[in-house]
Amino acid sequence: MPYLSECEVTSHHELSPGHYRLVLHCPEIAQDAQAGQFCMLEVQQGYYPFLRRPMCFERIFKDSVSILYKIEGEGTRLLSALSPGQSINVQGPLGKPFPLEANHARHIMVAGGIGIAPFPALAEAIIAKLGVTPEIIIAARTDSMLLCEREFQQMGCKIHLATDDGSAGQKAFASEVLRALAPGPDTIAYCCGPMPMMKATHRVCEDLGVRCLASLEAEMACGDGVCLGCVVEAKVEIEAERMVRVCYDGPVFDSALINWDNY
Amino acid sequence: MPANLQVNVGGLLMKNPVTVGSGTFAYGQEYDRYFDVSRLGAVTTKSLSLKPRAGNKPPRLVETPSGMLNAIGLQNVGIDVYLREKAPWLRNKGCTIIGNIYGYSPEEYAELARRLEAEGAADAIEANLSCPNVHDARTARGCTLVAQDPQQVTAYTQAIRAATKLPLFIKLTPNVLDIAEPALAAEAAGADGIAIINTLLGMGIDPETRRPILSNIVGGLSGPAIRPVAVKMVWDVAKVVKIPIIGMGGICTAADALQFILAGATAVAVGSYSFRQPDASMKVIEGLAEYCERHSVANITELIGAMKV
Ligand SMILES: Cc1cc2nc3c(=O)[nH]c(=O)nc-3n(C[C@H](O)[C@H](O)[C@H](O)COP(=O)(O)OP(=O)(O)OC[C@H]3O[C@@H](n4cnc5c(N)ncnc54)[C@H](O)[C@@H]3O)c2cc1C
Ligand SMILES: Cc1cc2nc3c(=O)[nH]c(=O)nc-3n(C[C@H](O)[C@H](O)[C@H](O)COP(=O)(O)O)c2cc1C
Ligand code: FES
Repeated sequence: MPYLSECEVTSHHELSPGHYRLVLHCPEIAQDAQAGQFCMLEVQQGYYPFLRRPMCFERIFKDSVSILYKIEGEGTRLLSALSPGQSINVQGPLGKPFPLEANHARHIMVAGGIGIAPFPALAEAIIAKLGVTPEIIIAARTDSMLLCEREFQQMGCKIHLATDDGSAGQKAFASEVLRALAPGPDTIAYCCGPMPMMKATHRVCEDLGVRCLASLEAEMACGDGVCLGCVVEAKVEIEAERMVRVCYDGPVFDSALINWDNY
Repeated sequence: MPANLQVNVGGLLMKNPVTVGSGTFAYGQEYDRYFDVSRLGAVTTKSLSLKPRAGNKPPRLVETPSGMLNAIGLQNVGIDVYLREKAPWLRNKGCTIIGNIYGYSPEEYAELARRLEAEGAADAIEANLSCPNVHDARTARGCTLVAQDPQQVTAYTQAIRAATKLPLFIKLTPNVLDIAEPALAAEAAGADGIAIINTLLGMGIDPETRRPILSNIVGGLSGPAIRPVAVKMVWDVAKVVKIPIIGMGGICTAADALQFILAGATAVAVGSYSFRQPDASMKVIEGLAEYCERHSVANITELIGAMKV
């Protein structure tokens, strides 16, 4: 059950150029939120930007949540101007969380760029609920964009770094790093990042018989299943069920359900 | 004493003048998690077609200055699922229902209206003769919307009129030279009300990729960006028709809604702004009551068309 609440900013820091962590005091939302879900932030009071901005939960605490975000345009730029003590209207939690499935020996999270955002919360949930420590592939364009390494170290996760330019870790795409880890049918992969990166990750998982859950992105208006604006095409024969809503049916989907030919 | 907010829209009694824009409220269930949707004067459904529709390919929406462009393409559950699953929920909630319909011929519209009435699944019919998102924009030219051609408006309205006794509203497009013409055609053909405006046609291009932003290329513009256009069109229509008007286009607050009422609308609909503020329509109702009290208005109907010129 989502809430609409005015939430106070308790802390807000720039982590690396253009990347921020925002912590919001929101007891109701925090109580219900689960890893993989998201919220819609009202970045300002007036009508420009008109729509809220979707952001997933980086971590979920007792009375608060943290959000990890990257400046993309006007909305995130306005968000970055918020100071501790100010408040912001938050709608959430929204969407379906990552399912926590006990029948896998190995859990590998695959993050591309800011797609790292939902994984600290997921790692905590996997450790707490399943008693397994997941591995993580952190991939980004360059080393200054690699985020959350310390957080995953503290959780005891095995970390595999990769950059497009080789400035840190392997010079490789996240999907190739995953293939090299030789995941098998006992593995479950979770991926989040740009669509082409998730498509490549899906293909690797398909080849190797690995179950893969992808957290998708789409432009959103309502974030709550109403406008039908955020759909992606699923591999479903029945016409009426082919378009699935990222905000309501997802954002987490079994990657085998998605028609990746469109990306 | 609190003001009387009740209005009669061509035979449809609404306990207050506020409904929601078709396609911006689905079938009511989602937003009922934020406020009791039975408090609305009426819930207007997403356009219903005879068969379920998948709609256009993504991307289907993009934000614009103070608004948004959409090309959903009438994705909807279809009349059967509506009758089986959605209408019973709305009825059980005690909602007044405006059933919005879309078809490919006058016969399809008539069939949809007949079924909604027969199953008691709507208290009024709103015929969407103005969806901009169901044509191939690369080849389309001229009047592709029924509501752009007064003769077609006459034919469609007559067909639906013959099929139902429910109050019948015709939803028109602003993409015309003179909105009065299709409005007069609808009135003469037996409509009980005019719903205006549907979205304004628009498009966007990404200069980096040189590709259209929407897969459908063309979409419909909504939100505060279109409000002044919508208020003017309500005024234009109010000058020439005797039947009531449901005004919409960028309504966010009670003050916005009042502009439409003062221009001549009997009822108003909150559209895209619900995406930003799911309980916006309820806030509009509260704001209207507060305004009436502050201005000693006993009956909100006193304000219809009461702009001082
Ligand atoms: C479920 C979900 C969770 C997300 N979680 C995070 C997160 O935790 N951290 C983070 O940094 N980003 C996240 N995003 C992406 C984030 O919402 C966009 O980067 C942000 O909306 C951009 O807004 P802007 O005004 O700064 O950019 P602009 O480009 O000016 O935005 C214009 C429009 O495009 C949309 N938009 C632009 N880029 C994207 C995008 N990549 N994905 C979706 N919509 C976009 C905006 O919503 C807006 O409507 C998430 C997106 C979704 C769908
Ligand atoms: C996402 C979206 C979907 C819509 N779907 C429909 C529809 O199915 N049928 C219809 O008659 N109008 C539809 N409309 C038009 C609205 O009902 C309304 O006429 C228009 O958006 C103007 O109001 P607004 O500016 O307050 O949104 C849709 C609008 C939006 C934004
Ligand atoms: S954003 Fe509106 S349905 Fe998903």
